[in-house]
Amino acid sequence: MSGQTYLTVAYLGMIGALALWTWTVFARSKTLQNKIDSLEKALARDESE
Amino acid sequence: MSAMRASDMNIKGEVVAMLGFAGAAVTLWLGMMWAPSVSISAFKAPDAQRIFYWHVPSAWAAMIAFGLLFIGSIYWFFKRSDWAWRLHVASSEAGLATGLMCVWSGCIWGAAEWGVPWDWTDVRLNTFAILTLLSLYLVMGRRSQPDGVETRDTFAAFGMFGFALVPLTYIATRLWQIRHPGPVVATSEGSLNSDMSIVLFLGAISFTTLTVGYVMAGMRLTKLEMRLEELQGQYEERMK
Repeated sequence: MSGQTYLTVAYLGMIGALALWTWTVFARSKTLQNKIDSLEKALARDESE
Repeated sequence: MSAMRASDMNIKGEVVAMLGFAGAAVTLWLGMMWAPSVSISAFKAPDAQRIFYWHVPSAWAAMIAFGLLFIGSIYWFFKRSDWAWRLHVASSEAGLATGLMCVWSGCIWGAAEWGVPWDWTDVRLNTFAILTLLSLYLVMGRRSQPDGVETRDTFAAFGMFGFALVPLTYIATRLWQIRHPGPVVATSEGSLNSDMSIVLFLGAISFTTLTVGYVMAGMRLTKLEMRLEELQGQYEERMK
C-alpha cells in the first residue's frame, strides 16, 4: 500500500469510527425511549383494567 | 412537563455532538487540504504530520473528559449524587471515544514517521494509553456488573485515582522526551504558523464541543437506563 493510500484509508477509518460512535449514542437513546414508552403504556393499561 | 424538559435536553446533546462532529470533519479536511505543509527536512513523513490537527485536539478533548470523570467520581463518592454518577458514566464513554481517536491517530503517525506505531519506552504514550484503557474498563465494567452502591463506589475509586495519570501525561514530554514530540504551541522556541494555528484551534473547539455533546447525551442515556430499570422492576412486581 502506498503512503498516500495508507493515510487516506486511515483518515477515512477515523472519521467513519467517530461517525459510528456518534450514531450509536443517538440510536441507544431512541431504543431506550421506545422501551420506556412501551413499559409505561403497559403499566398504565394494567392500572386501568 | 418533566418529560418535555428531558426531551429538550436530549435534543440539545444531539445537536451539540453533531456540531462537534461536523467541526471535527471540517478540521480533518482543512488539515489535509488547506493547512501549509511542514518542512520536508524536519519530518520523515510530512504528509502524515497533517494528522496532528486531529491528534492534538482529540487528546485535549480526552483530557477534558477525564477531568469530568474525576469530578463525577469524587462527587459520587462523597455526596452519593445520581447526577454525579451520570457524569461519571457519560464522561468515561466520552473519554473512551476521544482517547481511542488520539491513540489511533498517534499510531498512524508513528508508523509513518518512526517506522513503528508504538514505543513501549515512551512515558507519554503509555500513560495516555493506560488512561484510555481505564475508561474502557469503566465502560465495559459498568455494562457487565449489576448497578448498586458498591459497584459505583468501586468504579468511582478507579475514576478518582486514575486521574493522577492526567497531570503525569501532561508533563511527561517535558520531563522525559523519549519519542513523542514536545509542546509546539507557544513555547520559548516559537509557535505555529498562523494558518496552522487556525486549523488547530478549530480542531480544539470542535473536539471540545463533541465531548460536551457526548457527555450531555450520555448523562441523558444513563437517566433513561435508570428509568427503564425502575419500570422493569415495577412491571415484574405486577406480573408476580
